Amino acid sequence: MDVFAATLAAVLFAGAPLALAALGETLSERAGVINLSVDGTVLFSAMAAFVAARVTGDAWLGMLGGALAGACVAGVLALVGLGLRAPILAVGFILTLLCRDLAYFLGHAHARQPGPELGVWTIPVLSDIPFLGTVIGRQSPVVYVSIVAAAAASFFLYRTRAGLRLRAAGESPRAAFARGIPVERLKVLYCLAGGAFSGLAGAAYSLGVKPGWGHPQGAEGAGWIALAIVIFGGWRPSRVVLGAYFFALIQVMGIHLQDSLPGLSSTLFQIAPFPVMILTLLFINIRRSGRFRDAVQNVPLLGRLAGKPPAGAPGALAGVLDQDAA
Amino acid sequence: MKTPSSATINTLAALGLALAATLVVLFFAGAPPLTTLAVLFGGGLDSTASLLKTFSSFIPLFLCATALLATYAAGLWNIGVEGQITLGAVCAAGFLRLPDPATFPPALALALALGAAFAGGALWALLAGALRVYGRVHEIFSGLGLNFAATGVTLWLILGPWKRSGMASLSGTEPLPEAFRLPGFAGKPASMVGVALAVAAFGLVVWGLTRTTWGLKLAAVRQNLKAARLIGLSPRRRLLEAMGLCGGLAGLAGGLLVTGLYHRLIPSISGNFGYTAILAVLMVSLVPAFVPVACFFFAVLLAGAVQLPMALELDSSLSGVIQGVLVLAFLAAGRMGIGGRLTGDRT
Amino acid sequence: MDVFLSHITKRYGRILANDGVDVALKPGRIHGLLGENGAGKSTLMRVLAGHVMCDDGFIEVDGTRHAGLTPTGAMDLGIGMLSQDPLDFPPLAAWENFTLGGRPRTRRQARDRLAELSAGLGFSLRPDDPVERFTVAERQQLELTRLMDANVRLLILDEPTTGISPEQKDILFRILREFAADQGRIVILVTHKLAEAQELCHEVLVMRRGRMAGRFESPYDAGLLLETMFGPQAAQAAEEPEIAGLAARKAVGVCASAQASDRAGGGPPLAELAEVSFSDEKSALPPVSLTLRPGEVVGVAGVAGGGQELFLRGLTGLARVRGGRFLLGGQDMRGQGVTGLSRAGVHFLPASRMEEGLFPGLSLADHARLGFPAEKGDIRDLFVRRFVERFHVPNQPAAPAASLSGGNQQRLLLSLIPDNTRLLVAESPTRGLDVASCAQVWEHLHALAAQGTAVVFSSEDLDEILARSGRILVFYNRRLAADAPAAGLTVRDLGRHMTGRTAAGAPQSAAWACNRKS
Repeated sequence: MDVFAATLAAVLFAGAPLALAALGETLSERAGVINLSVDGTVLFSAMAAFVAARVTGDAWLGMLGGALAGACVAGVLALVGLGLRAPILAVGFILTLLCRDLAYFLGHAHARQPGPELGVWTIPVLSDIPFLGTVIGRQSPVVYVSIVAAAAASFFLYRTRAGLRLRAAGESPRAAFARGIPVERLKVLYCLAGGAFSGLAGAAYSLGVKPGWGHPQGAEGAGWIALAIVIFGGWRPSRVVLGAYFFALIQVMGIHLQDSLPGLSSTLFQIAPFPVMILTLLFINIRRSGRFRDAVQNVPLLGRLAGKPPAGAPGALAGVLDQDAA
Repeated sequence: MKTPSSATINTLAALGLALAATLVVLFFAGAPPLTTLAVLFGGGLDSTASLLKTFSSFIPLFLCATALLATYAAGLWNIGVEGQITLGAVCAAGFLRLPDPATFPPALALALALGAAFAGGALWALLAGALRVYGRVHEIFSGLGLNFAATGVTLWLILGPWKRSGMASLSGTEPLPEAFRLPGFAGKPASMVGVALAVAAFGLVVWGLTRTTWGLKLAAVRQNLKAARLIGLSPRRRLLEAMGLCGGLAGLAGGLLVTGLYHRLIPSISGNFGYTAILAVLMVSLVPAFVPVACFFFAVLLAGAVQLPMALELDSSLSGVIQGVLVLAFLAAGRMGIGGRLTGDRT
Repeated sequence: MDVFLSHITKRYGRILANDGVDVALKPGRIHGLLGENGAGKSTLMRVLAGHVMCDDGFIEVDGTRHAGLTPTGAMDLGIGMLSQDPLDFPPLAAWENFTLGGRPRTRRQARDRLAELSAGLGFSLRPDDPVERFTVAERQQLELTRLMDANVRLLILDEPTTGISPEQKDILFRILREFAADQGRIVILVTHKLAEAQELCHEVLVMRRGRMAGRFESPYDAGLLLETMFGPQAAQAAEEPEIAGLAARKAVGVCASAQASDRAGGGPPLAELAEVSFSDEKSALPPVSLTLRPGEVVGVAGVAGGGQELFLRGLTGLARVRGGRFLLGGQDMRGQGVTGLSRAGVHFLPASRMEEGLFPGLSLADHARLGFPAEKGDIRDLFVRRFVERFHVPNQPAAPAASLSGGNQQRLLLSLIPDNTRLLVAESPTRGLDVASCAQVWEHLHALAAQGTAVVFSSEDLDEILARSGRILVFYNRRLAADAPAAGLTVRDLGRHMTGRTAAGAPQSAAWACNRKS
């Protein structure tokens, strides 16, 4: 039981940055902006947050620095991809490479140096409850930040007027324009917001989950998984966060198994999330395919097991990352 | 004096923008601007030795950029090119473990090894291609996933089955026997074979894309996949062909790296050549004629950057920074149409 | 409310969509805006509703001049438009669609207001259902309700009757009459159907080639209207009666279905469907059984979303075949995708010509090369022979397909039809085309039918279906509701099938056609 609780706690911890990045990208993609620079942004903000924390001596200022750094990168994407209308996938990809190299270059002087960390919070009453206490009562603040972010994003999107406008702008930009919704402005706004979230994710790494800065940092590839999680979660914050914890579970289990099966290389577990990412995307597409629909007709149980078909992309994104059958 | 064309002005504007951005970055890093740039650009050109080093980066870059022209022509985002290089290297290294260096004709062994490299890279690319065509998984995700998988495979081989006798080392597998190394040039590991292959591949691919019906079909698939299906162009087959060709050439680059440069399998053998090639191709907006120039320029940067840690205590990733900034600047300058506005050219 | 449009000019590249248009709109009246496809009606209305900025001219509302409007600005002035393609948000709920862009409301307030207004108009709309599950008529009703809530005073409707049944059209027209009579509001009905304008409008404005060509008061002289719409070749319009509408046909004395191809040949059937069910991501058709003969021209009708789109796509392999037996020329086509069916001689002409059928950046010559890969030799010869001479595709082999007009795009698509086509499936083949292009398209389709190719086509224009088909299929609610020879059917009959009531009693077309605004 203790092991179970400890594992859950570890999953929440490892999944917090993934969740933050994926939530941010969900908002951005809901507005119709695909930000391929998430991975580079996470690394860059991790560096920026760490440096800011070292310079100011305050880990929370570091978090702020990370968020700002993320927003800046998204700002470049908005400027070149939205403002100048260069192809957004290309700009995003270039930025991800650029930010990664920039992070290593500028962070060189701070590599393998000690720095402030966010530490652990102990929630007064909650931490005394047997099972829950371990899971959620004593956690790094990044866990609480990510949970609050998930709840806030869900509430925002489905229960507020601004969230409705965001959904509308992403579903049908032409119709939104006809209603007087400033689609272009919203795109920039949520692109920046998404970048800020990715920045927080990076800061969560270098100030919490994988403290410090190095070369390599340890968060490599997280941004790409976050992008896949957005699709996996059907652009819905609640499911996206579950997706993030799913991938975190894989990482955590990898570490556990590594101890009990020392023969297998550690790299296997580091890379395990990526083939899983491919498999999850494959699963979604199979679920939506004609053959599966036919199979469900014949074997209804299959349909109930597989669940509801995942939501499609917001209208503005249709066909971009969600490939049409060749 | 002839007025410069809008394209020239665009290029100059882009270079100017890139320079300005680089200076800002250098300022933040506390690096001396002029010295750094001198090391960066000169480091690849100041001596025969460094020129050869530049060349040894140029060959894989050029091969990969050529390969990417094929996938971009079909509208594919083949991010997986890194993994394809790696698999090519793995296959070449793996093949060369089989024959006996004393008795087997070296030229044949190397040729077969390079063939294996091509096949390995092609298969790895076809895997991503199949996921796209039959599984509708976007090639960005499958490519990335397979990149990481390829890294994993390499590490496992280096630390496991193919480890050096005695102790496993991250410096790579057992070095290849002398016989099974590509002949170098002037004593340096830069092979004429590599240059020849790269140039031949470039010519072949560009001819195929611009002068054959096959190339036209790829262009059609890129523009409108649905229409391509309706008109009977078999888009699935075209996409797989493009991926296979690209992966094969990338794998070949990997094979050349193993047999010509490192003479063994090392971790991260793909050395970011794949991603850098993507940048090079994007920078010249997929115009084939400028690809060799862009690759050479980036190769110079790569060679120069290696000297940065020793000379100035700066991280060598500065070359990547400049490459990224350059490509962005070119994209931006192109979109801003600065050249067009200054010359009145409305094209 | 007094509205003047003064010297409105709008250019799209080389095309002058609106050329110095002047219009005076009067309160309390329903204005018809007539003109053939491409005359500039939609552009003018988009300028008025603020969707598009005009290059020159201004709009004057109650004495204030506006050089250009935004959608919000237009709404503030009380101008609202019901677009031809529904501009709504399919996955969002009806109440969400209702409240977007309007004044701030809580969910309960929005639902209450929606219920209140729609009941007042005689609609029943389910507030929590996503709009994608609504029929076209219901989506229109929701939009109308929303515009009423926003206190619209100038209501523009752009081709509102495509995709709805005749009965639903009657309901709409009643509402429009009440609306115009209320406090001097203005209605503009954009249509290319003469009959509708005659039925509903107090006055009719005719546009032609970007200019205002004439203004007429009710009662109307159909011949004069036709002549103003199409030019002195009004006789040509008489030959294309489906463009001018049923009443115009009667006015110029041409009888229905004169050209229907009854040449459904004898001999073995071309295609047999036995309990075949087509399905795609969104829905599935229940099993359908029918036979197609060589040379048949089959028109497929149905309210938008009724299932005819799925049926057509299933025939071509774009939708899956689930269950049943699908034989083409004796061969089983189950499991064959587009490629297999294509090789068997099935060809598809999509309604969205550029998005699904052509390559915008490739040249016309490139299309020729791709369409006829077996032809060796100079592609220019082939291009001139097959494309320019046979189909009147513009002789510009190097021009990109993106530069083609709608009519030329369709001509290009027609030229690409392979010679061995046995079954041609055409989605709305004349949508958005001007009269001359329409005629050419049908000329070619009839020629194909004469050679033994079966032609199955869908159209939102019931008159076209009646005039051109030898046999008609009607879909309703994703089921095949009727399969009958075209001779003897009227628009009313079709309408009844399209809305789920089987034809009963004598057709009332004569009475309907005479129901003009007096």
